Amino acid sequence: MTTSISTTAPAGSADVIDLAVPLAPSHPLHGLRRERPKIVDATQGSYDAMFAADVQGISVVERLAVALHASQLCKAAQLAAHYRQRLVDEGADPQALLHAPGARLALILDFAGKLIVRPLDGDKTSIDALLAVGLSTPAIVALGQLIAFLSYQVRVVAGLQAMADETPGTGAAA
Amino acid sequence: MTTPIRIKGFTNEVLGWKAWLQTVDLESATPAQIAALEEMSPQAKQSAYFLLLAHQPEMLLQRSIAFNAIMFAPGGMPRAERELGATVESRLNGCVYCASVHAQRFEQLARRSDVIEQLFEEPLTAGTTPRERAIVAFSAELALRPETLSARHVKPLREAGLGEAEILDLVHAVALFAWANRLMLNLGEPVFPQPA
Repeated sequence: MTTSISTTAPAGSADVIDLAVPLAPSHPLHGLRRERPKIVDATQGSYDAMFAADVQGISVVERLAVALHASQLCKAAQLAAHYRQRLVDEGADPQALLHAPGARLALILDFAGKLIVRPLDGDKTSIDALLAVGLSTPAIVALGQLIAFLSYQVRVVAGLQAMADETPGTGAAA
Repeated sequence: MTTPIRIKGFTNEVLGWKAWLQTVDLESATPAQIAALEEMSPQAKQSAYFLLLAHQPEMLLQRSIAFNAIMFAPGGMPRAERELGATVESRLNGCVYCASVHAQRFEQLARRSDVIEQLFEEPLTAGTTPRERAIVAFSAELALRPETLSARHVKPLREAGLGEAEILDLVHAVALFAWANRLMLNLGEPVFPQPA
């Protein structure tokens, strides 16, 4: 099995949402999240599936580059830091990847950026362009799921951060 | 039958959806693909949308578990209000398909459609009660500007009487439709019923 626990994760139950907000195990919102255990597990399970090594046709580095680009566009600083670190852990250079991508990655990042910001701009021409640079149908589905999942992840983190901001008595932990 | 709502390109009619890519053929689907489809719903095996997502069975499986837990789990925020949050996100993203499905679910649960008409007309100010207006306003803010969401936006929910667990349920429902809308809008398109 591939695991994707960040090197900064404390041992045990920390997941990417908790890391990004951040929510220590003692935080009331950490406990509140666990009142919906299926959501916590399937959110982390989705994250693991998005970056699984056995998904073919679009590399883990390409997927992490999409995630970094999307987090930056959404101004989600903690998630961007997380994906930047994961790229470094994969031996990639995040700066070079995003600023001087090859033609294939440039197309993928462009597709992702557009749909993160304005999903209504999705059209069949963009899908055909991805097929034309050699992405398979399963790879395009993986890319579509990834972009969509990132939009979810950004909002779960943002919602919890707003709740953490106003939760009385936890200001000192911020 | 009541007259369908048709406002600014949005409707509560039942729509179809056409994939822009080849879907998985159920006859030759793998056990993992079947399991992911069955996790989603009894109807998923007949849906072009889910048969397309079945190309990545683990992603579909995890998303299905998340989807069903967020929208249907007992307790917390009433289900009609989760559907309202989902419909706000879908309306703002221009996802006509998701907006129609979740407008219908809201109506089934709440036995009324007044707020849906308001939402299709003007999504930022919709709501028939202070509580509903607070839910709609927060959902819109999370949909459009997650980067500036803060305690200031949560406060009106508290003032309208929402508890902590209800607020987290709403965050999940809105975020889930940021996910669903993008799949619907970037891998295919809605199909409208033929005029009679």
